[in-house]
Amino acid sequence: MSGSKPDILWSPHHPDLYVICDSELGLYRIGPVGGTETKPGTLSLSKETAATLLAINSDTPYMKCVAWYPKHEPECLLAVGQANGRVVLTSLGQNHNSTCKELVGKEFVPKHARQCNTLAWNPVDSNLLAAGLDKHRADFSVLIWDISSKFAPETSVAAEKIRLSFVDLDSSSVVTKPLYELGQNDACLSLCWLLRDPKLLLAGMHRNLAIFDLRNTSQKMFVNTKAIQGVTVDPHFHDRVASFFEGQVAIWDLRKFEKPVLTLTEQPKPLIKVAWCPTRTGLLATLTRDSNIIRLYDMQHTPTPIGDETEPTIIERSVQPCESQIGSFAWHPSSQNRMVVVSASNRVMTDFTVFERVSLAWSSTTSLTWACGRHLYDCVEDSTGGTEGAAETDIATKMRERAQSRYGHDTVQVWRNHLLAGGTDPQLKSLWFDLFYMKQCAEDQELKLQGNKQSVVYSGIKNIIKTSSGTTESRRCWSGSDRQADVPRFYSEERCLALRLCGWISRGPDINVETFLRSLEHEREWERAAAIALFNLDIRRAIQILNKGAMAENGDLNLNVVAMALSGYTDEKSSLWREMCSSLRLQLKNPYLCVMFAFLTSEAGAYDGVLYESSVAVRDRVAFACMFLGDAQLPRYIDKLTNDMKEAGNLEGILLTGLTKDGVDLMESYVDRTADVQTASFCMLKGSPGEVLKDPRVQCWIENYRNLLDAWRFWHKRAEFDILRGKMDPSSKPLAQVFVSCNFCGKSISYSCSAIPHQGRGFSQYGVSGSPTKSKVTSCPGCRKPLPRCALCLMNMGTPVSGCSGTGKSDEKVDLTRENKLAQFKNWFTWCHNCRHGGHAGHMLSWFRDHTECPVSACTCKCMQLDTTGNLVPADSS
Amino acid sequence: MFVARSIAADHKDLIHDVSYDFHGRRMATCSSDQSVKVWDKSENGEWLCTASWKTHSGSVWRVTWAHPEFGQVLASCSFDRTAAVWEEIVGESNDKQRGLSHWIKRTTLVDSRTSVTDVKFAPKHMGLMLATCSADGVVRIYEAPDVMNLSQWSLQHEISCKLSCSCISWNPSSSRAHPPMLAVGSDDSNTTYGGKVQIYEYNENTRKYSKAETLMTVTDAVHDISFAPNLGRSFHVLAIATKDVRIFKLVPLRKESTTTGPTKFDVQIMAQFDHHNSQVWRVSWNVTSTLLASSGDDGCVRLWKANYMDNWKCAGILKGDGSPLTGLSGQPTAMSTVVGSSLQTSQNALNGTSAGRIAKRASFAPPLRQLTSPKINQSPA
Repeated sequence: MSGSKPDILWSPHHPDLYVICDSELGLYRIGPVGGTETKPGTLSLSKETAATLLAINSDTPYMKCVAWYPKHEPECLLAVGQANGRVVLTSLGQNHNSTCKELVGKEFVPKHARQCNTLAWNPVDSNLLAAGLDKHRADFSVLIWDISSKFAPETSVAAEKIRLSFVDLDSSSVVTKPLYELGQNDACLSLCWLLRDPKLLLAGMHRNLAIFDLRNTSQKMFVNTKAIQGVTVDPHFHDRVASFFEGQVAIWDLRKFEKPVLTLTEQPKPLIKVAWCPTRTGLLATLTRDSNIIRLYDMQHTPTPIGDETEPTIIERSVQPCESQIGSFAWHPSSQNRMVVVSASNRVMTDFTVFERVSLAWSSTTSLTWACGRHLYDCVEDSTGGTEGAAETDIATKMRERAQSRYGHDTVQVWRNHLLAGGTDPQLKSLWFDLFYMKQCAEDQELKLQGNKQSVVYSGIKNIIKTSSGTTESRRCWSGSDRQADVPRFYSEERCLALRLCGWISRGPDINVETFLRSLEHEREWERAAAIALFNLDIRRAIQILNKGAMAENGDLNLNVVAMALSGYTDEKSSLWREMCSSLRLQLKNPYLCVMFAFLTSEAGAYDGVLYESSVAVRDRVAFACMFLGDAQLPRYIDKLTNDMKEAGNLEGILLTGLTKDGVDLMESYVDRTADVQTASFCMLKGSPGEVLKDPRVQCWIENYRNLLDAWRFWHKRAEFDILRGKMDPSSKPLAQVFVSCNFCGKSISYSCSAIPHQGRGFSQYGVSGSPTKSKVTSCPGCRKPLPRCALCLMNMGTPVSGCSGTGKSDEKVDLTRENKLAQFKNWFTWCHNCRHGGHAGHMLSWFRDHTECPVSACTCKCMQLDTTGNLVPADSS
Repeated sequence: MFVARSIAADHKDLIHDVSYDFHGRRMATCSSDQSVKVWDKSENGEWLCTASWKTHSGSVWRVTWAHPEFGQVLASCSFDRTAAVWEEIVGESNDKQRGLSHWIKRTTLVDSRTSVTDVKFAPKHMGLMLATCSADGVVRIYEAPDVMNLSQWSLQHEISCKLSCSCISWNPSSSRAHPPMLAVGSDDSNTTYGGKVQIYEYNENTRKYSKAETLMTVTDAVHDISFAPNLGRSFHVLAIATKDVRIFKLVPLRKESTTTGPTKFDVQIMAQFDHHNSQVWRVSWNVTSTLLASSGDDGCVRLWKANYMDNWKCAGILKGDGSPLTGLSGQPTAMSTVVGSSLQTSQNALNGTSAGRIAKRASFAPPLRQLTSPKINQSPA
């Protein structure tokens, strides 16, 4: 703070005022940017705040140290210590009231002139101002001035006097007699009043830290140390004091003052300021010379005075409030962890908040909570604001939404599942159509071949093609044109099946794509339809489709141009048409238009332009390959494509791999990439029962998906999933979990309790045993002893609750097996596992609606609250 | 799009950890005020504190939930050198009616001689197991052999990591192909001590945990570590909070049947972000491990998300006090215009008056332009 080195002081009572002192004093008001930007002379301190210079005071030259008067009134009263040891009271820019006026300008002059190093106001008795001075022979170095001295005790009276004797002001405002003189024959470098007792003053003397007691000035407590600079008391822990020497900070506990409780790791450069954070316990900020970072020490544990040798945990942090070198900083007295920093050279100020370390956690439902300091924040994904497109949505959210919409559960119109998934993902669309066609073929084959081909259908085109035999080659004419086309086409039963799986044809053996083309036209996929028509050597149909597309509402008129280009087709090898098409086609944006010309301009058997156009759907490329590639080329192409799909985890490849081990490999890389275990689980469940489901990876996806549903409390969805899974994989069905056995004979009472699923058969079994009293459901079927009683209605269990059951034998049978199975949940046997009291479920539920304790007298069991998870509501109940 | 709101936490000192239960309906917080608080989500989505009790005689560093299959069970660890297991008890008092629940201490684990810095329950398929790590570099694994008796815990394993441990994470994979595995991070700041993340794997034959891997490239202090939920993936993903955010991929190499040693991994770095421009304090994965949240000493919470090509990008930034980010390094961003009341809210937070339950709403700022193309170091192996 000497010379040009600036220092900052916050006003002790005004949260928006601070003083910068270097060669002069500048008072600033800090405020939000918006409020002050109109005024000239505003300095921006941060994005939100700016400061306005309110007043400058350059009355006191040779400033060495400054201290702000700690009381409310008079405000903006500052004590300035000068190089000659004088302490001057001065004020900044406020309208001076009487109290202030009489104090401002007062000077406190030591006997011998030497530098004043430090000033400290007593926090309680604010008339006391301690000044620490350099050494001067045997003189005292700590002087405590009474700023009210030379005045009568009542300041109001004093004010009168002053005004009367205004002429005499100069001499009367100089005080030369300090109240206390301490620290003889020594130098004082830093001072602070102890907060635990305002009569105690801690001073950093030349080679020791000393505590002076004003009640007994002859004695002092001291400890020899080098760390005597910048003594400061922790405002939250009044026995803790920090001081420093060079680059090292020492932390002292005044209760065991002999040695520092802690020394912090030495910093490479000498420290210039150390300050405790006033708003937070145990946070110490330190600043070294020529540095642009402030190092923070977070002392996580209050030290204990005796016995316990635990060292406090210290978390060290560095913050960089600004780019330039920092001259000084000051914590805001009340705003949490906030400080203003002033640069060393050009008085650039920065308003800065030290953030607490944030700990955070995601919930299973994708809400994020974090803790910052003492505050908690909860952050949820706002699905309503999702205008950026569904692609941005996280897969967790997507899976939740899809589970809600019963994605995967449409087992008849399998393709519809992609609509349930939102209908936006082309890969899912392809996957579910693949599965749909597989299912269709499988059912169809079943009719013809009694199922022995079923597994073939699900084994994917790759395997189907491998078994291919008896391929015939034919050269077909362009339909609608009498020219002989030089295009060999291949045909076999397996290739036909592959085309069906690709969705091009719906029934074999004739290859007739007309229905498929119509459906594509219906969906306005003009280019694709045209390409497929062309691949079926129907150039006229292709042109017709393109025309239709151009005519359609919002149709692309360019399609007409394409149609014109198509109509000029010639198989002349060197024609201009051919030359231009093969070069210009690459500029076509639509991949289908592009492959049409690629097809027309390629040699027979060399269709790379079509086969490796990755924007064309895999099913179309595969179907094309099945028609135009020979037995040598086709498996090679399919293998290569399969491997590419597997590597990329592209679901379109399921068409090739089917639901085989290859398919699981493909799905594995899809799951690796997307974490979409939902699709993986449902897809694998569509396969033929057997080896695929037994693959440990598939089991793992299924378990993970079920676990997700559980975590989301989608228990109904999980149960539905389990039912679906049980149909496909009977081994996954769990065993019955609970049997109730009779008190007397120990046998299961299954038939009389409608809770057991197989009671239909059980009943008839017992029924034929011929007893006329078998209608008594309240007795054990084994020994005919009565079952326990319901704690509420005191009837034996098994009694129909509201007389809804008939008495006749046939009636009862109907009752138990049909409607009652669903309706009579209230008849169910329930009991508390803790107190083992129970009764009819309906009775118990209605009891616990109004009560917390068990209905059995003298039982204080809070049966319904025992299970916290049991009290959670499923999130998917409708 | 994420929206933040403030919850009146009412802790008397710094909150060190937040933890959700399996269903995301309960939350636990722990603090330097030596207490743990349990929060329940009400039907209208508000968090209500249903329990708050003194747990330790020092700062409580971490709190974590067991799987609900084992009951309502919490574990906490503290500077007081202990870890403790807590269970919610219903039916012994009438507190439930006043909306309060009662937690009792089931056990205190006193083996550590220094501050216990982290505690984590093992994945549920391993049974009721608990791992702790301490400042003197020891990882301890406890097991409750009888899940119905939470007061009996036996110390099963003690692993000496040689370096002061700050954090621990279990590999959550339930696949049988993956043996139990945990990662330990050290906050030792001496970079010459080598890798600060060690991975230990359980060996079925020796019945011991042995070191499978040390991430030698992570030499700075590690503050947090987190395995991503596996979700049936064939590899493991590990997020590390050190001087930056790092995401590692551990691909288990196919083991030959003859070898009995620990699994070898192909360790690849998937992403590395220094956007916090400071020490990173915590990392956390969402349930599908497709979103990573990180917090740093810059006071910001950042979200990271991978696109389908495994390119990780910043998906959102929010200041720790819930206010939107209004700019970094001097240039104005879109955000300052988006939220008009940003000034108001941040001022509130600074003055400590932001205690209202839904005191403020602010959106996650879209990432700054220069942040949208993160530095991604794809190491060859």
